[in-house]
Order: sequence, then structure tokens, then C-alpha cells
Amino acid sequence: MQRVVITGIGAISALGTGADTNFSAAFAGRSGIGPVEISAGPHRITGCAAQIGFDLPELVRKADLPLFDRVALLAWSAASEALQQAGMDPDPAAQQSSGVFWGTGMGGAQTIDNGYVDLFIEQKNRVRPMSIVASMNNASAAQIALRAGFGGSVNTYSSACVSSAQAIGEAFRHIRHGYAERVLAGGSEALLTVGIWRAWEALRVLGVTDADHPERTCKPFSLDRSGLVLGEAGAAVMLESLESAQRRGATILAELAGYGASNDATHMTKPDPAGQARAMRMALREAGLAPDRIDYINAHGAGTLAGDLAETQSIREVFGDHAAALMVSSTKAVHGHTLGAAGALEFVLAVQALRQQAVPPTAFLAQPDPACDLDYVALHGRAQQSLRAVMSNSFAFGGSNAALIAIPFI
Amino acid sequence: MSTPDSSPPASSYSTVVAMLAVQLEIDAATILPETELATLGVDSLTVAELIFDLEDKFGITLGDERPSLVVVQDIVDNIDRYINNKPAT
Repeated sequence: MQRVVITGIGAISALGTGADTNFSAAFAGRSGIGPVEISAGPHRITGCAAQIGFDLPELVRKADLPLFDRVALLAWSAASEALQQAGMDPDPAAQQSSGVFWGTGMGGAQTIDNGYVDLFIEQKNRVRPMSIVASMNNASAAQIALRAGFGGSVNTYSSACVSSAQAIGEAFRHIRHGYAERVLAGGSEALLTVGIWRAWEALRVLGVTDADHPERTCKPFSLDRSGLVLGEAGAAVMLESLESAQRRGATILAELAGYGASNDATHMTKPDPAGQARAMRMALREAGLAPDRIDYINAHGAGTLAGDLAETQSIREVFGDHAAALMVSSTKAVHGHTLGAAGALEFVLAVQALRQQAVPPTAFLAQPDPACDLDYVALHGRAQQSLRAVMSNSFAFGGSNAALIAIPFI
Repeated sequence: MSTPDSSPPASSYSTVVAMLAVQLEIDAATILPETELATLGVDSLTVAELIFDLEDKFGITLGDERPSLVVVQDIVDNIDRYINNKPAT
């Protein structure tokens, strides 16, 4: 079995462009959340989101832009950063043994929305020629493979909010069992469209905008939480077999040591602590770590009452007495719930925490919910830690759970 | 839009070149009628986008024929047939 290491990371979200920028903002508790701007025809959305308000990096030539939904632009931004950091050389033989595993909940939803605007609002009788190529769920993975020249397995995982955690975990297994030497893994999501927003609104799970401080609308584990805040993002990790990384003299950022996956199989939306615990235990088993070796968990922590309670309970179940000593934070308070990108973005932040020995806080947690009784690293990040291993949890509608564990490479 | 038989046929040439130049981010002066689309980096997907926009621009709707488009003039000819209201032969 191959050991799997991380040689590159990349991220883009409302916190900024670049894995370092994202971690600095998360550590400082600087929020990317604010009043959202979405409109189409007569529709104007009001509310708060972690929307990327700056221009995306110009990495794609204009002639190719029609092939790119926003989700694929976010994908390539994160992926190209990870590839660059990993210093991947365009060696044709190695490229045949390199794959892309990407997660996205709804792929090119913006393109679909635009098509409906053309048809049903503008009363046109046709949609843009690249609508299929840009909206298909595997477009992001395919664009990354095309640009990196990766000719191995190129897979797309679509399991709502665990999509990209699954992509990273399955890529880990893929390399571990020798199917590929390298996999660029991660995920992206760009669902800030009128249609999708209205659908979330109808489900009544969105946070109510904090009147005084819109940037503090997402409050996981807090008594005054009001729901989740949608965000958009892309995040990536370059995974390699230890052998491949050492052969090419790559700088190893961390080791991906364990992955656990499960499904609640109990309810479409209500989280089940037992299912979550199964995923965390499997990841620990895979990593060969006792629970008390984990020092930090980047929680799923989306800011819903049911979710906060279930995760608190499942962490207690898995970690027992050690739960009291664990640091658990939800960075969603600042980057929102980036859905299919969430697992990858939060894993990148957890890896950064490990590398910098600094734990990002659960920002804006001024009024802890007494029913949530772990150390959620309220308000302020903690530097100069001694983290031996970190875990990133992701849970999804549909009951899917995923846990990833990273350790320093020694 | 139909053109009276007495006037010279309209040509989409300058529009095609201008739109290609914007799309490809190159100087329009480097695009000639005989320039091969492949050398400009234009593939079937780029052509599909271009023709879609040309249809909008000229208010025409191309039929279902799939002519072979090798050089810039081929696109122009294809569009001009419709601008001048002449069916493809």
C-alpha cells in the first residue's frame, strides 16, 4: 500500500484567492460574508452570502470562456495553484498515471440558469451553443485534466456537501492501491443563482441576515445561530504516492493518512450522529491512529441547530474523554457553506492549520449554545499549537458523511 | 433581410474578422480571407460560438447543413449566403 502525500494546495473563496490568503483570513476571523448580489430578469435576491465579489484570476483565454461555467473557473483557479506549488513537470509518462478526482454538487448550474433566462424570460428560442459542455457535472474535472495533461482516471463525485471530501478520499484510496501515482483532487461550487437561491430559501434553512453585522450571519454552535449561509469556492490538493513525490524531489506539505465514508441511511436531510461517527472511526482506523491523537477537527458546522447538535454528539461518541481536549472549529462562519467545495476548502484549511500549527476560530461565537459543549475555539484563533493530527468533517443532505485525516510528513 | 438584385451582395467579412479578433484576442490585421482557422487556434467549438453570435448579429438562422469550414472566407461565404437570402447549394 502506498503512502499518500500532499504536494500542492490551492483555494479560492470569498476570503480571497490562494490557499495562504484563505487561511490567513480564516485564522483572523475575517469574514467573506456580506449582502448578496444576484439578479435575473425581474428577480432580485436579498440576503447574505459568501459571494466572491472580486474578479476571478484571468487564467483562461477569451475564446475558451464559453466552455467555462463559473464553477469551472473556480476549479481551474484552485487546481492550477496546487499544480504550480507541486511543481508538476509535463512528463508524458507520469501524466498517463495522473488523474483528477473532483467534487461538485450541481456543476454548471449558472449556465443552466442562464439558459432558462434566455428561454423563459427573454423569450428566445435557443440557448448558447456551449450550454451542454459548460454545464455538465464533469466539466470542471475535464478542464483540469485537459490543461494539466492528466490522462489517468478523471472522476466526478456529486454527493451534495461531501462531494469534494469524497473526491479527495477516493483519490487517496486510488493512489493507495496503486491505480495512479498522482491525483489532483478537490472540488468547486458556484450556486449563487436566482433559481438555486430560491430553492434553498424554500427549504427554510438559510440564515437570517444579522441586522447590525451582516458579515456575522453564519454562527455555528451559537445560541443565536439562524441557519446556513451559502458560499462559492474552489479548492484543490495535489495528492501523490510518497514514492512519486520523493522521486521528483517535491516538497511534501503533509501526509493524507486516513479517509472514512458512510451514509446515515436514516433520513434525507436530518443528520444522524451514528452515521457521522462511523465515518470518523473509519478514518481513524485507516490512519492507524487512536482517537486521542487528533488535536484539531475542522467541523462540518454549517450553523443549523440539528447539524450542530448531531456533530457535537458524534464527536463525543468517537472521542470519548478526549473530546474535552479537542479543538473543534467551524470556518464556515467566515467562508460560508460552499456545498460541493466545502470538504476540499476545509481540508485545505485543516492542512494549513497543521503546517502552521495554528487553529482557526469559530468566528462570531459570542453566545455559545449550552447544548454544544466542546471547545469550539470561539472568536480567536490559537497560534503556537502542537498539532499531531487534524481531521476535517463533511456531512451532506442525502446522509453522506466523510472524514479526512492529515498528519505532518515525517 | 433581402437585398435587391441590383445592389452588390452584402458581405459579412469585416464583421467576421472583427468578431474573430475579439474572440481570439488578436490584431484583426493578422486575419486574412485565406487564413486557416486551425492556425488561429479555432476549433469546432469556437466556430459554433462564432456562428451563434453572427446569427444574432445579422438576424439570420442557419440551416442544418454542416459545410466544411477551413479558412476564414469559408465562414464568410456561409454567412453571406443567408444574408443575401440565397439558399445553400
